[in-house]
Amino acid sequence: MLEYASYALVLFALGAYLLLDGYDLGIGILSLFDRSDLRRKEYNELIATAWDANESWLILAGVALWAGLPSVYATVLPGLYLPLVVMLLAIVLRGAAIELQSAAPGYRRGWGLVFGLSSLVASLCQGLGAGAVLSGLPHHDGVFSGGTFDWFTPYSVLCALGLAAVHLLAGAAWLQDKTVGTAHHRAGRLGRPLLLAVAAAAVVLALGLRLADPQDFRFDEPLRTTLFGLAVVAAAVCWGVAWFGFGRRPDWRPFAAVAGTEAAGLLALVAATAPVVVPPDLTLRAAASPHGSQLFLVIGVGGCVPIVLAYNIYAWWVFRGKFTWPAALTDQPAALTGGSPALTDSAGPSDTAAREHAADAAGSRAPVVVRRVLLTLLALGTAAVSQDVFGGVATWIDPAGIAVFCLTALAVWIRSDRRSASAGEFDFPAAER
Amino acid sequence: MASPAVVEISRWQFAVTAVFHMSFPALTVGLSLFLAVMYTVYVRTGNPLYLQIFRFWKKIFAVGFGLGVVAGTVMTFEFGLNWGRYAHAVGPILGVTIGMEVITAFFLEAGFIGIMLYGDGRVRPRTMAFACWMIVFGTLLSTTWILSANSWMQDPVGFTEVNGQFRASDWWQVLFNPAFSYRYPHILLAVLISACWFIGGIAAWYLLKHRALPFARRTLSIALGVLAVLMPVQLYVGDSTAAFMGAHQPAKLEAFEGNWKTDNNGYNLLVVPNTDKGRNELQLGIPRLGAVIGKDLTGKANVPGLLQTPKADRPNMWSAFYGFRTMYFTALAMFAMAFAGVVLRLRGRLFTARRFHRLMVWMAPAGVIAISGGWITAETGRQPWVVYGLIRTSDAASHLSLGAAVTSLVGFVGVYALLLGLWIRYIVHTVRAGPELLVADVGPTVIPSEVKHA
Repeated sequence: MLEYASYALVLFALGAYLLLDGYDLGIGILSLFDRSDLRRKEYNELIATAWDANESWLILAGVALWAGLPSVYATVLPGLYLPLVVMLLAIVLRGAAIELQSAAPGYRRGWGLVFGLSSLVASLCQGLGAGAVLSGLPHHDGVFSGGTFDWFTPYSVLCALGLAAVHLLAGAAWLQDKTVGTAHHRAGRLGRPLLLAVAAAAVVLALGLRLADPQDFRFDEPLRTTLFGLAVVAAAVCWGVAWFGFGRRPDWRPFAAVAGTEAAGLLALVAATAPVVVPPDLTLRAAASPHGSQLFLVIGVGGCVPIVLAYNIYAWWVFRGKFTWPAALTDQPAALTGGSPALTDSAGPSDTAAREHAADAAGSRAPVVVRRVLLTLLALGTAAVSQDVFGGVATWIDPAGIAVFCLTALAVWIRSDRRSASAGEFDFPAAER
Repeated sequence: MASPAVVEISRWQFAVTAVFHMSFPALTVGLSLFLAVMYTVYVRTGNPLYLQIFRFWKKIFAVGFGLGVVAGTVMTFEFGLNWGRYAHAVGPILGVTIGMEVITAFFLEAGFIGIMLYGDGRVRPRTMAFACWMIVFGTLLSTTWILSANSWMQDPVGFTEVNGQFRASDWWQVLFNPAFSYRYPHILLAVLISACWFIGGIAAWYLLKHRALPFARRTLSIALGVLAVLMPVQLYVGDSTAAFMGAHQPAKLEAFEGNWKTDNNGYNLLVVPNTDKGRNELQLGIPRLGAVIGKDLTGKANVPGLLQTPKADRPNMWSAFYGFRTMYFTALAMFAMAFAGVVLRLRGRLFTARRFHRLMVWMAPAGVIAISGGWITAETGRQPWVVYGLIRTSDAASHLSLGAAVTSLVGFVGVYALLLGLWIRYIVHTVRAGPELLVADVGPTVIPSEVKHA
């Protein structure tokens, strides 16, 4: 039974990723179709506070799969090699684009384009991967044994389009929740066409699954049929709520409904396919890791999930409500007005090169040379002691020596800091306040 | 069974992605601690200097952290993508360890980074400080777990093997394996040290340019203070780690010392190894120093050579030797600079010694270079094993076509080279823009360069 708990953990993480990074990716794709730089910057900033946490769910899904169902991990990842590599590259570029866009003053078109395109590519690759897994992957001895392009099937292409629609829907719902003005209106109007697209995709993919999936679906089992039926009904109801909610107050309703639809849809898929994870015949039992690992996974990782959810919800709460430009942007007036002022600091008390030269010229050369030779020898000595060369003589010599060096360094640091502070070398000049 | 070419390509890909990824945590772990301390000091004293330091370094930290996260995401999937057989064999052990890393560390960092970067004005300063400390906690936990996983691969203990799959018989031993107790302090000191060089190098640049002097003096003093305390400790810990590894993986020590026959008591500075003939074409070293470093003060003991290891179990001397030399020589340079820092402090010239500042600027990437060299030694020195003594790297790869492997390698190298260039450019731009105006709180935000159209 423990393998079901591990599988549930994987699915939970996957579902959280689908929803949370789904809206990031959806907004990324939507940003391609918006012509206002200000709004595109806004879309980027909207995601910048959370993409990192949202993406972590994908990593969790991956490693939970690795720990709990290693055979699935070793079959699916090599099996989907190319789409997964392209997706990872797209995710890398998207992360870089979001951070560099966010750090840049004003709007950078290049990063905006990378952000949008990599979101699109990542969504399509995820869909291709999901479709390929559902169509079955050949495996042997718990590792993948098929060809390079096994992932490319008509069904996986349909899946890619369907998943892009799902991400777009989540993106539109999130935009309605978080924005005001034009973006808000557009999100409200986009919602219903996207809902229709998602519904059409769901029907086509569900019917197609019977052809694509090589396993026999066993809907004669009452538990399975009941769960599947309930999940489908729940998905339909949430879909209806989302239909009603788009373009209407309260603004959070469409996103909540889309979340419900996605969760129920995933549940329906699992109800139909479990215990098979990778069709036709890689089942949970066959793929599961040993009992001890599963127990550690479920207790250790599963036990942390509530805590993780708690502070993620807190982080979401901090940024609740409509999007406003973060205060951090006010830090860049210099960059925004263009040109770096390169202030030179006049208030520094002890300046600088002139005094240094004077000091050097004052004494004659000989003492300087002697001092430097002695210091070099001292440095070599401390380096030797630090590397434990006297460890063969007595083990305590070198640790004791290092303790002396560290304490000396600390004492010198504290003394010089005090002197500098009293000489005003750390004082913040009025000009910079 | 994957072809040797696929294994080779996969190794290169892993090496490139791992070194690229590591160069970000090498800075951000230490920077997160630095930022948390600076912000806490600011909250307690209200001195705007610390706010300026916090805001400036936050800008670099934000981008570095983001790039580190995405590069790390790639790593977690690469275990399965290119190394499916390895993933299947060690999943029950390492999958769990890395699962714990993700749930305890990644989420903690990711959950609070948004508050730290964008929380100004939305949360109270105390909450902000709390978020900073949570990120420190997260990065340290992440280092702990990942070192535990990697150390288990270096020196596996506490497991049983069933049908080619490893399962833990004693989780405590697996997580806190003997190699971990040496390598963890070593890497922890290394990441703190490399962040200090980075901070100190940039501070020295401002001193040279006579810009933002209080900021520059304050951060240079902190960086060099920490370095002077940590460098001797790091040399000691590094020496013990090398000794431990020499005892547990003799071939690694033989390779990184650059000897074939056990007839040399010197310390090699430069070798040109010939792997087929089992000798060095060129060898340049200091006599007797090898024995002295190996705790024999008479200078007679010979350093073990690689011919002691059977040919099938030998790592590549090139990468192990030059990886180790890169780390060690950089470490000596760092030690010398930290020592010079103490001397300059005693003479009261820390903030005026311009030649020293010029050298400090060059030292800014020293820590990252040393860490990369260290990882190359650790990982290539373990070859031909992926899990030492248990799984050979050639048996670990996935069933992939050469074309797919080459395509992904080219993709990663291309994208990572681009990102590295952008990252360096971003640092240069941020440093040039300077910290001068990062304290003034301007009123409600506008983006003047934007015109609303649409």
